Amino acid sequence: MAKKIDTVTVEVVRNLLMSIAEETYGIIVRSAYSTNMKERRDVCTAVIDPDGNSVAQVESLAALLGSMLSVVPGIYEKFGRENVKPGDMFIANDPYHGGGNHLPDIVIAAPAFVGEKLVGWIANIAHHSDIGGKVPGSTSGDADGLFQEGIRIPVIRIRENGKIIPSVMDLLLDNTRVPQEREGDLTAQMSANLIGVQRIQEAYARYNDTLIDCMKELVSYSERRVRAVVAGLPDGEYSFTDYVDGCGDKYPDPLPIKVKVTIKGDDLTFDFTGTADQIKAPINVPYPCTKAAVFFSVKALMGDDIPANEGINRAIKIIAPKGCIVNPTEPSPIGAQIDCQQRIPDAIFGALAPVFPDTVVTAGNGACTTTILAGDGAIGTDSVFIFHEVIAGGGGASRHYDGLSGVQVNMTNTSNMPIEATEMEFTKILARKYELKKDTGGAGEMRGGLGIERELEIMQDDVLYTGLGDRHKFHPWGLAGGKEGASGAFYHVAVADGSVTRMGHKTTSRPMKKGDIIRVVTPGAGGYGDPKKRPAEKVLKDVIEQKVSIEAAKSEYGVVITTADGIHYEVDETATAALR
Amino acid sequence: MGYMIGVDVGGTFTDFSVFNQETGELFNYKDSSTPADPSRAIVKGVQDVLEIKQAGPETVSYLAHGTTVGTNALIEKKGCRLGLITTKGFKDLMEIGTQRRPALYNLQAQKPYPLVPSGLNCTVPERIRYDGSVETPLDEEETRKVVRWLKAQGVQAIAVCTLFSFINPAHEERIGQIIEEEFPEAYVTLSSRLAPEFREFSRMSTTVMNSYLGPVMKKYVNNFRSSIEGLGIKVEPYVTQSNGSIISIKETIDCPIKTALSGPSAGVIAAAYIGRQCEADKIITFDMGGTSADISLIENYTPQVSNERLVEGYPARIPMINIITIGAGGGSIAKIDEGGALKVGPKSAGATPGPACYMRGGENPCVTDANIVLGKLNQKKILGGRMDVDIELARKAIKEKICDKSDLSLEQAANGIVTVVNSNMVRAIRSVSVEKGYDVREFSLMAFGGAGPLHACEVAKELGMREVLIPPHPGTLCSLGLLLADTKFDLSRTKVVTGEAASIDTVNEQFANMVAQGTELLDKEGVPNDRRVFQFSIDMRYQRQNFEINIAVPGGVLTEEMLEKALADFHAEHKRSYGYCKPEATVQFVSYRVSAIGIIDKPDLKPEELHPEAPIPAPIEVRKVLFQGKTEYVDAPVYKRDDFVPGQTIPGPCICEQMDTTLVVPEGWTIHVDGYHNLKIKDEVN
Repeated sequence: MAKKIDTVTVEVVRNLLMSIAEETYGIIVRSAYSTNMKERRDVCTAVIDPDGNSVAQVESLAALLGSMLSVVPGIYEKFGRENVKPGDMFIANDPYHGGGNHLPDIVIAAPAFVGEKLVGWIANIAHHSDIGGKVPGSTSGDADGLFQEGIRIPVIRIRENGKIIPSVMDLLLDNTRVPQEREGDLTAQMSANLIGVQRIQEAYARYNDTLIDCMKELVSYSERRVRAVVAGLPDGEYSFTDYVDGCGDKYPDPLPIKVKVTIKGDDLTFDFTGTADQIKAPINVPYPCTKAAVFFSVKALMGDDIPANEGINRAIKIIAPKGCIVNPTEPSPIGAQIDCQQRIPDAIFGALAPVFPDTVVTAGNGACTTTILAGDGAIGTDSVFIFHEVIAGGGGASRHYDGLSGVQVNMTNTSNMPIEATEMEFTKILARKYELKKDTGGAGEMRGGLGIERELEIMQDDVLYTGLGDRHKFHPWGLAGGKEGASGAFYHVAVADGSVTRMGHKTTSRPMKKGDIIRVVTPGAGGYGDPKKRPAEKVLKDVIEQKVSIEAAKSEYGVVITTADGIHYEVDETATAALR
Repeated sequence: MGYMIGVDVGGTFTDFSVFNQETGELFNYKDSSTPADPSRAIVKGVQDVLEIKQAGPETVSYLAHGTTVGTNALIEKKGCRLGLITTKGFKDLMEIGTQRRPALYNLQAQKPYPLVPSGLNCTVPERIRYDGSVETPLDEEETRKVVRWLKAQGVQAIAVCTLFSFINPAHEERIGQIIEEEFPEAYVTLSSRLAPEFREFSRMSTTVMNSYLGPVMKKYVNNFRSSIEGLGIKVEPYVTQSNGSIISIKETIDCPIKTALSGPSAGVIAAAYIGRQCEADKIITFDMGGTSADISLIENYTPQVSNERLVEGYPARIPMINIITIGAGGGSIAKIDEGGALKVGPKSAGATPGPACYMRGGENPCVTDANIVLGKLNQKKILGGRMDVDIELARKAIKEKICDKSDLSLEQAANGIVTVVNSNMVRAIRSVSVEKGYDVREFSLMAFGGAGPLHACEVAKELGMREVLIPPHPGTLCSLGLLLADTKFDLSRTKVVTGEAASIDTVNEQFANMVAQGTELLDKEGVPNDRRVFQFSIDMRYQRQNFEINIAVPGGVLTEEMLEKALADFHAEHKRSYGYCKPEATVQFVSYRVSAIGIIDKPDLKPEELHPEAPIPAPIEVRKVLFQGKTEYVDAPVYKRDDFVPGQTIPGPCICEQMDTTLVVPEGWTIHVDGYHNLKIKDEVN
């Protein structure tokens, strides 16, 4: 138990630690090479206490939390705390051995010493566009084992005595298709840590051991905040089952994600017993990611201002049977785990909807719809290009608000690639369309958010397309009488004959010809409440904004809208009254 | 020669700084603002000032004002009804934005208010590629239809932003012509003219905001100009921009977005000027008021500029003084939250009900309440005696809302509130300094605004800064800044080339092109030739990075020698910012910037003679004050600022009151009064 520190000092130190985490985040985003980091900001940074508890982390995206929570314990387990020395830096990507997510997410952690005393850690994790494996971009839709997904880095040193270990760097760079990009990104990550270490040392110089006591207190504080909310909730058991579409042709059947949430006093338990077994396809969710998903759901429902740190985990208990899809055994493939991880908050929100009626949202696009394009073509000194983007979709509706359209949901919150940034760097890609797709938001008194339709034309032969998504079969559900949102889909529009082929939700390395178009439609979100209760003028606005068609206004909402000139639209009150 | 007048319009007060060019006297005046039509307070104030000075309107040689009309129209969503024209296939770029949701964990957080009304986001068939080549020609007939349709929808303005127009503006220009033919009365903004830089969403949102404000601003400035003319004032009035410079009414009408963040920028300009008086070339400015605090960094008397910032949730891609605003001011509310932590702000009690001590029914303890309980603020009357306060109400609020919910005593709670709000300031100051690679300990903290000097020394101490500067009139620094600004046009072009000798001609061509444009703009502003200055810089990055660092290129004609110097500067700046550089790596030039500056006459303030021998003035009272980190109240003399004499040295601990602010000087710090009546407060211990 930490020494009692006054609340004022704790708040001051919290500000300082957040400042350190944010500074290192800024360095990576502004100096990295790959679009994942510099434009999409698929990066997270954190200050970690000497015991390995994450204390302060930037609120960039939740998916990367897993690594922050597990990396330092992983280092201690492997090397022993006493063998961590000043000038060390550790690297990992294997969630079965100290990493946290899937293999492209590389975590680098650095201890901060003052003299011989370890006073804290700075760590960051970032999504690398390629770390080897069977397909360019490393993440496939059909890997049947971890070894197909890239180089595994168990937690190892990448710097020692303040110097990079060249052979480690050489090994990593030899295992990627784009070594120049990797080197630039790893340099940015390590440089950010060097600055972070210096800042933690400065903080210790200012506060001495009070710094460490404050770190402990911050963790306790988050735990208390969660427990205070839980204590105010009615005891009970709340269950919900949502489904992942399956995974490619090999696993066409739905995979249940089942959760039973038990509230008892100030204890909160998430039991995933009954969830699908692990599969030989890349959507198994490593246990650290499952923890991260529960963490996200708890913070979102119980207080978005609760500091994101280990304390939240301490307030909850997770039961995930070994060998199920949310706690797979090594070496189950995990590359596209996020498509399945996204279903965990959906299931938890579904279960807790009766407990948090004002906070909970309906199911959103529930995926991490990814496009990877790879082909020949030099960028810098790399001889191939690998383009990677994630396309948003509908956001869930709630009792008080329509869902947001064209947003990332749940575990991810990365930016899009600006079209102009994409085409200047990847000159063989031409964006044809990037718009919200009409009628994809589930009908409801509060309408679900809309999905996106994006079309990319490929301007050279022999480009390989990998498309990963979910909720192509299982639509996002609504609540309180709201209808479900539309599902997503991938299409290949062939230039040769103009044919349009629907592709699977885990399409891997499909060859594209010059002039072919990839059309990605992302899922919308479920509606909230009876659509017939949506005020007619809001439906009229939806029609004018091309979010809802005139036909759907009538069939889904019972609102008849007419236009004489295509300029002015109005509600036919009589016809509407008859339908409602 | 005559009177130079700077006017800063605030939410509550309109401040005037008036400089008599003949006598060298600087005079300040203040009156209530008239939010419904801000120009009324300006006109009345100018009249009053002239009356006080018994001068005729023809003696006004210069008049500049900072306007909040644009800012308020954005905040209050009172811009005009406008349409957007963009490339076919991309109608929803404004709504999708970056596709990030506004808050990671808050499931109810909403996207910013849509500026383009329902359905008025239109597209036309056309497409330009990354290299400027035309992939799909503009469909002119379709464009004409779209413009007519928008006209029928009753829009007042149209924003035009198509893909890659920053590299080839031909389609946007043609769309502009078609609008002119079909709908000449519309207010039009072309993205390629306003902000010709890459990243379509930020360019589009800047363009949309500009059109949204255009008609509103046009109406306001035209009104303002005729009122000023009506007074008999002969000079053309200026308006401040967010980059700290001033522009004519005509330019304001074309680019209203450039005024949208101008509010605090004039204060920073004045801070840089006072920095020169104090010979302090590294300054952090700290402007703290009732609801928020503005922080910026000045190096070599030049404020730091940023090229993009969020305005009401939308990116605005215009050069502006880099000012960080945080929700921490005298009215920020303190509370103990569910986890037992003491939090201050960002919620503010505002002016009504205000802090508990204001006796207007406020029950929440605010920073001001804490400062009164601690004895730092006058416990009976504040604002130079114009406002009564009740310390018992302050005590009661802190006791009920803080002490009763924690184990803090009244004193610990009051001190804690100040410590926590200071730590918010410290975090913001770190973000503009330490996080950008600057050693904050080398900087002086210049505090202004009503609450800045109250907190300055203790904030400085926490950061290891050893000097605090307080200008003579901390409450009216913005209006002073309006007397110190130049005219400035920030121009830019984007063209990605490798930073090598082969690119020199391309770079020089870009610069020459912008000098021509700048010359034309300065001609329009009537700036004489001998008053023109051009500044040049290039945004650089390592190949494959996407964020650039701006490097100055003096002279504007690149030679091989200067190229080498510029590249060396880039590597050095990269190292300072990110902790490393790669001298062997390929550097890219991305954007080119030219600032076309017209130098304007400024007040010539002369220092007064120093009188170090003058006796320390008698305190107006001795008050018990509890300083930060202390457990006991100590007796501190309270001085009147007006009693200080140039050259004097006054030791802390002490309090110094003046009409617009109160200065708190802890033990170990000493006030030095300079010839301009600036106070330099130095940490004599560390």
